[in-house]
Amino acid sequence: MASHLPPRPTAQHSQADAGGMAADEHHHGPRGLKRWLLTTNHKEIGSLYLIFSLSMFFIGGIFAMVVRAELFQPGLQLVQPEFFNQMTTMHGLIMVFGAVMPAFVGLANWMVPLQIGAPDMALPRLNNFSFWLLPVAFALLLSTLVMPGGAPDFGWTFYAPLSTTYAPPSTTFFIFSLHLAGISSILGAINIIATILNLRTPGMRMMDMSLFVWTWLITAFLLIAVMPVLAGVITMMLLDINFGTSFFNAAGGGDPVLFQHLFWFFGHPEVYIMILPAFGIVSVIIPTFARKRLFGYASMVYATASIAILSFLVWAHHMFVVGLPLVAELFFMYSTMLIAVPTGVKVFNWITTLFRGSLTFEPPMLFALAFVVLFTIGGFSGLMLAISPADFQYHDTYFVVAHFHYVLVPGAVFAIMAGVYYWLPKWTGHYPHTRLSQWHFWLSVIGVNLTFFPMHFAGLAGMPRRIPDYALQFADFNMITSIGAFMFGISQLLFVAVVVLCVRGGEKAPAKAWDGAEDLEWTVPSPAPLHTFETPPRFEPDRH
Amino acid sequence: MWRVIKSVLAAFFGVQKESRRHEDFSRGRASHFIIAGILMGLALVLLIALVASLAAR
Amino acid sequence: MRRVWTAGLAACSGLSGSVLANGWNMPVGVTDVSREIHSLHMTIFWICVVIGVVVFGAMFYSLFRYRRSRGAKAANFHEHTTVEVIWTLIPILILVAMAIPATATLKTMYDASEADLDVMVTGQQWRWRYSYLGEDVAFTSNLATSRSQVSGESAKDENYLLEVDEPLVLPVDRKVRLLMTSDDVIHSWWVPDLAVKQDAVPGFVNENWVRINEPGIYRGQCAELCGRDHAFMPVVVRAVEPERFDEWLAERKEAAAQAELGVDREWELDELMERGEQVYGTICASCHQPDGSGSPPAFPALAGNQAMLEDPDYHIDTVVNGVSGSAMPAFRSTLNAVELAAVITYERNAWGNETGEAIQPADIAELLDEQ
Repeated sequence: MASHLPPRPTAQHSQADAGGMAADEHHHGPRGLKRWLLTTNHKEIGSLYLIFSLSMFFIGGIFAMVVRAELFQPGLQLVQPEFFNQMTTMHGLIMVFGAVMPAFVGLANWMVPLQIGAPDMALPRLNNFSFWLLPVAFALLLSTLVMPGGAPDFGWTFYAPLSTTYAPPSTTFFIFSLHLAGISSILGAINIIATILNLRTPGMRMMDMSLFVWTWLITAFLLIAVMPVLAGVITMMLLDINFGTSFFNAAGGGDPVLFQHLFWFFGHPEVYIMILPAFGIVSVIIPTFARKRLFGYASMVYATASIAILSFLVWAHHMFVVGLPLVAELFFMYSTMLIAVPTGVKVFNWITTLFRGSLTFEPPMLFALAFVVLFTIGGFSGLMLAISPADFQYHDTYFVVAHFHYVLVPGAVFAIMAGVYYWLPKWTGHYPHTRLSQWHFWLSVIGVNLTFFPMHFAGLAGMPRRIPDYALQFADFNMITSIGAFMFGISQLLFVAVVVLCVRGGEKAPAKAWDGAEDLEWTVPSPAPLHTFETPPRFEPDRH
Repeated sequence: MWRVIKSVLAAFFGVQKESRRHEDFSRGRASHFIIAGILMGLALVLLIALVASLAAR
Repeated sequence: MRRVWTAGLAACSGLSGSVLANGWNMPVGVTDVSREIHSLHMTIFWICVVIGVVVFGAMFYSLFRYRRSRGAKAANFHEHTTVEVIWTLIPILILVAMAIPATATLKTMYDASEADLDVMVTGQQWRWRYSYLGEDVAFTSNLATSRSQVSGESAKDENYLLEVDEPLVLPVDRKVRLLMTSDDVIHSWWVPDLAVKQDAVPGFVNENWVRINEPGIYRGQCAELCGRDHAFMPVVVRAVEPERFDEWLAERKEAAAQAELGVDREWELDELMERGEQVYGTICASCHQPDGSGSPPAFPALAGNQAMLEDPDYHIDTVVNGVSGSAMPAFRSTLNAVELAAVITYERNAWGNETGEAIQPADIAELLDEQ
């Protein structure tokens, strides 16, 4: 068996350093709630991030269920348009800033030190701070739901002047909460960069790092580059709302379109912030279960860099109908089409990795494969949206909703779930329950397609997004979508069941839980003790 | 110099040989790649802008 | 449901064009531009389908052929620069081939010169206002579907949410330039059959144009989230033969001149109340509610509003000039003097507000002239 495995890094792992120590033996810090409040351990903070993200995933999911329940039939049945708009807005904000981003940061916290042989993150106290900003930020955001005038109701893109002059009074709280979440992201990114650049085990060069580490390094730079832009634009909103400035108020000489330029200059790289780590996870999982080295590792790294660079040059493709000059339309159409190329390279590389491998289909692999197929479908609709003249018809319809949900749900979210299934044995020492995981997978795949595929048709047939009520010709599509959404939503309870069962028990996993896995995390025992790699492991880069 | 440009071009294109990458990472200096990357990023922007303005005529 | 399944089967079996064009696909539309856009859409769609078949074909072949349960042993190869360069170049070539016709179409869409008719389209929360520039004809176009259909108390019509009290009337075979702007937030004027979607941005005037080939009624909606009643501001365009259009325009001009005459005479309270109730229902009720109760804090109650009842000038100023920094727009350009006087009178005498005052159109007209 081992003969046709790729050579893997041999790390000397000493039981005295990391193994054989139960948490309570060497954990001298505070206990109970204070232990979690004050922890500086990357594994504990990683778990906090992941638990936080999962709870936000369910809260955002409940909002989505409200939206889908209202849209089940034409007419207004359950909620009024004001509340519907609050639900769509909060769903988007919570899912983007509360669920997907913290989940990736949580995975990075857990796995980056383990994959590079570091004892912890480079800045552990900062790590604690950046996590605990999040519950504060999102408690603030959720509290707007019970404020007079209601929660933000202007969509997650919060276009001015709807979000300034015409916004509910709670908007100021929304701005503050987004500031806090932004600070958290920047601090997290700084920490990840510092860790990757400084704490690699002796002998591990940049080019020896796993793709998960690579994609996170590039993502972290993107975060540092664009989060300040978001902070800037929401500060301008704050000034417009509370201090009488007119950045975005046409009546005072301001420019509502400026808002969109600034927002999307942040927003488009943000899209890649949510997908690049997903690429990394999938690029780690597919070779493991194909028992074959990742095809074109170098190209994968370069393609990630290429996507990151191009992501700064395409923002106005979100604004094709806003009245841009012709030259700008052409510029952004061409640059957007270019971005399809490195993305395509990635998909080709994953498929070539599968080619002539020795494939098995454990739960992480199932999710990774679904990611490749469904993300590519989202990529196709993205390519269609890039064609600026056609975008005049697609823009702000359910076609767009279908597109970005395909890249975010079976894209980012499936990759996160693949990562969780992949690393659960390392975290808990147990394999996730196979049968239950398979149920979760298949119900999710069917649910996700039932939800989002009909949206393409609804959008092409002319259904605008963000409407609580619709014309009769869209009724069939919406009913199917709603049924699919409920199915997808409920099947996520299975995911919680799998995780809880896995934490409590199950088939014992050895240090190297998957026989094709080759990164450093598989050299420490399962479950990983609280402190690992206190002495840097010896890393022999014999694979290159 | 030419080697740096070729490597950055490969990064833009998204395809690179394992051996070339190996060479870049063992012999190249990060600052050279970053400077070349920024300059060629600007060149790319100008190129697309040029094509767009020619096409818009 | 049944229709969905049969059409789904048709789509799966690879039928295209006419089958898909029926409520499943982007409409071909009734302008040359909409046809071009539709053909771009179908081209890129089929390119994606072909790439998808090849890529997923290779993927699923690998998934079945190289399973370990079938005894597959992993090969050890991990790069092939030539192959990688090829599969990077092919997409680039496809994209260049796609960009050329897209550029041509875009240039056509951006050429709004030499129009035969200019129509100003103004978005307002939550209605459209159309004015035929240089013709002294202007009107607002409101949702005509009743609220009882929305709440489910009465059966929904065929054109539920896609019907208006006064459609935009346009001539066929003439180039019409559409100038878009907004009085409050960003809206987006969209009619799929005309392939026109353009944001209406406050403080900006955007340009688009349309030359309709076939008479008919074309329906669309506001496409940009614009607040609470975003779903309830449809667009309806009635395209008619040029001669019929000219007749219609002349009639509207005549009617506008007649209305102008009514400004100077003394109006009775009942007359103003009747007209005011109508205006209130189409314009004000969506925020301030049909019973004047409003929805505080954003939209204050009008019933029993002391500040408003005690000071008629403040009331008039609020309606005519709006309240800057709030959701209350200025109605000076939206409503004429008669409508303004009527709606203010109505608000001062409805729902238990019994001031007994009749605000005269002549006074409002004077006020509008002064300002």
